[in-house]
Amino acid sequence: MAVTWRAVLLAAIGVPVVLVVPATGTVLIWAVLVVLACGLDAALAASPRRVGVQRAVPRSVRLGEPATDVVTLTNVGSRRLRALVRDAWPPSVDTQPARHEVDLPPGEAVRVRSVLRPSRRGDSIADLVTIRTVGPLRLAGRQASIDVPARLRVLPAFASRRHLPSRLARLRELDGRAAVQVRGAGTEFDSLREYVIGDDVRSIDWRATARRADVVVRTWRPERDRRVMIVLDTGRTAAVRVLDAPRIDASIEATLLLAALANHAGDRIDVLAYDRRVRARVAGMAGARLMPAVADQLSGVHAELVETDWPGVVAQVRERLSQRGLVVLLTALEPAAVEQGLLGVVGGLTQHHQVVLASVLDPEVEALARDRSDVTAVFDAAAAERAGLERAAVAMRLRQRGVELLEALPDDLAPRLADTYLALKAAGRL
Amino acid sequence: MSAAGAGSAFVVTDGPTSSGGPGGATDGGPVVGDGTSARSRAAHRWRRSRVLIGAGVLVVLVGLLALLPEPRTSQTPLAPDNPSGTGAMAVAEILRREGVSITYTQRFADVEAHARDGVTVAVFGDYALGEAQLEAMDDLSGDLVLIGATYASGTLAGIETTWAVTDPDEVLAARCDDPDAVAAGTITRAGALHAPAGATVCFPAADAAADEGAYVDVSVDGRRITVLGDPAMLTNAHLTEEGNAALALRMLGRHTELVWYVPSWDDPYQGATTEDEPTASMPPWVDALAWQLLLVVVVTAVWQGRRMGRLVTEPLPVVVRAGEAVRGRGRLYRRSRARGHAAAALRAGAASRIAERLGLPRSAPAPLLVDVAARACGWPAADVEHLLYGPPPTDDDGLARLARDLDHLESEVHRS
Repeated sequence: MAVTWRAVLLAAIGVPVVLVVPATGTVLIWAVLVVLACGLDAALAASPRRVGVQRAVPRSVRLGEPATDVVTLTNVGSRRLRALVRDAWPPSVDTQPARHEVDLPPGEAVRVRSVLRPSRRGDSIADLVTIRTVGPLRLAGRQASIDVPARLRVLPAFASRRHLPSRLARLRELDGRAAVQVRGAGTEFDSLREYVIGDDVRSIDWRATARRADVVVRTWRPERDRRVMIVLDTGRTAAVRVLDAPRIDASIEATLLLAALANHAGDRIDVLAYDRRVRARVAGMAGARLMPAVADQLSGVHAELVETDWPGVVAQVRERLSQRGLVVLLTALEPAAVEQGLLGVVGGLTQHHQVVLASVLDPEVEALARDRSDVTAVFDAAAAERAGLERAAVAMRLRQRGVELLEALPDDLAPRLADTYLALKAAGRL
Repeated sequence: MSAAGAGSAFVVTDGPTSSGGPGGATDGGPVVGDGTSARSRAAHRWRRSRVLIGAGVLVVLVGLLALLPEPRTSQTPLAPDNPSGTGAMAVAEILRREGVSITYTQRFADVEAHARDGVTVAVFGDYALGEAQLEAMDDLSGDLVLIGATYASGTLAGIETTWAVTDPDEVLAARCDDPDAVAAGTITRAGALHAPAGATVCFPAADAAADEGAYVDVSVDGRRITVLGDPAMLTNAHLTEEGNAALALRMLGRHTELVWYVPSWDDPYQGATTEDEPTASMPPWVDALAWQLLLVVVVTAVWQGRRMGRLVTEPLPVVVRAGEAVRGRGRLYRRSRARGHAAAALRAGAASRIAERLGLPRSAPAPLLVDVAARACGWPAADVEHLLYGPPPTDDDGLARLARDLDHLESEVHRS
């Protein structure tokens, strides 16, 4: 049972009536009239439980892009359905419009559309569809909330894909360098072909030349089918909010860009999100199926307030990588956390693999370190300075153990990591 | 109802809020209803509200019990329904039997309502009698009998209590020509009063002055006021002694109607009701209009109070600001006045940056760093050494100065 503003109007019409017949009895009679009219109207309203409701949403949508939620309402009752329909989604899914006016004769159906603009990554689960019908007088009506399950997977924004074309161009440069047959690190044997003037005489393959009548040169290409394992630390340090976004968001962006780049370069990619257990994993995917799988898996990954189990990470890497490969650890370079966890076990990784640790820098700490406005600021600056020194010390110890370190602001992390990957590839260190 | 199967048979039109093409995949068939029936909803509502309803019924029952007539007897001293030694049930019962109708009250408003000519108003004690009651009592019509009401007798009739120590067991003779007193003859437990001129004084103590006695009868402004010094004589315990009963019965039974007033502390009486109440000057329709507006407000509340479906909750991620740890440490430094630690951190940071800038290894010894830095910026080596490796600052200003000087040194080194 619900009343509309018309019921209030009906009650307010009683005011002049009371002024004409000023008695308490008039009020009583009017109140009874309002109650009776509303009750009658509600009784004559169509039942909100005799409406077929169907929801249709896309399976997934990229963060920041709109999706359309189509609700199909079918009047299966025998009365005309005049109703207000609320299509409820969580607050982070900006639903426009959230309410729809519906006027349906018996036996007909209507589609109402809402545009959803989710502002948070992960699975958004639709809430109830509420139908409030009104009677023929539109004074009052009935209301019911119906559970119509729907789920919208919001994929990471992958804003860093704008950096992909330039990195792919660099990758092709590596390929192009192979065409001039410069043998060196990071290349592998590609094929034999006939010598043409201008080729480096050092790349002549004398054995093949002897077998054939022509002079034959070897060609080289960048290494392919290298193993790349990206490990996202989803422990407590990933929850820290840098420039209004948690660290893990920057890490996910970096993961997506690196995966896309390495996929183009022909490497095999594993993605693992881990804190004390596996939160997401993409393995054995390649080509066009890789990027959707990575986005889908990482959409539901959130930081957990637990300390990351680094021996567990090492075990996971060992399990997946049998040969030498690139291990990218997306975590935070926090002295205490690193000393307690990673530092002890990273040696086991660097023995067999090239390890890159990518961390999100906090510009706020930099700003704090430079602030001299008053004594309080100087104390804060001293604390920031001390934190920076400790970080530098821990970074040095990590470098001594053979870890490639990368620190960047949230927006720069993805392109910097891609550059590091390209540099390692060019240097043949994968 | 096979709505799921029938769904596709309906004509589907696009709603008024349509925008763009059709949406994506559907998740299963249409859902009809929320799985409840009128009966199940009623049962659910009953289950949900039965505790409240039970509590409401209990409250109503308790209220009804509270409304039941009060017990026939009380423990109030001098009350006509108090059968104990300090009560006065005996004299009240005799009066009733003699045909006197007794209105017992502890509210002065009732006294006002009943007092008129031909009615006796008896006041028993005046400890709980307020100024408002006293003033209003002055204007009451009807005879007054003040028993043990020291202050009231003084105010109303000018009869003072002597506070003389009297022997409660002393038998006093009337010794006056008041017919009631003469009829009683002798009484006990009477107290002593000091009468004004023109009053009839009876039952004086043995050694009392001429205008002192236990019983005074006076006429003030045409109204008869009878004062008895001590109420003990008409309690159940002492009524039978000597002529106590006779005096009490004659005194209280002068008229056929008696208002028995025992003042009480919780009497809400605040003076006579005045004529100019705020509502009196208002037009007659204000009352009805107020009720009607209340109706409008109630309907508005019902209109706005019904929510369009439940609130949707959302699990929110943990938010930790990145700078929190650093700020916390800075605050710890400040609270513990760790200027030494703070200065050391600032100096180490500056030194490491200068060393990096000048191409020295991190492990470069201090004298070498000082030497190279001094040459780079052109400052005396002693100044640079004092700045980078000097004693810690002793106060906050010193720390701030050190921070500024280090910045200066760095900028000089970087410029070179």
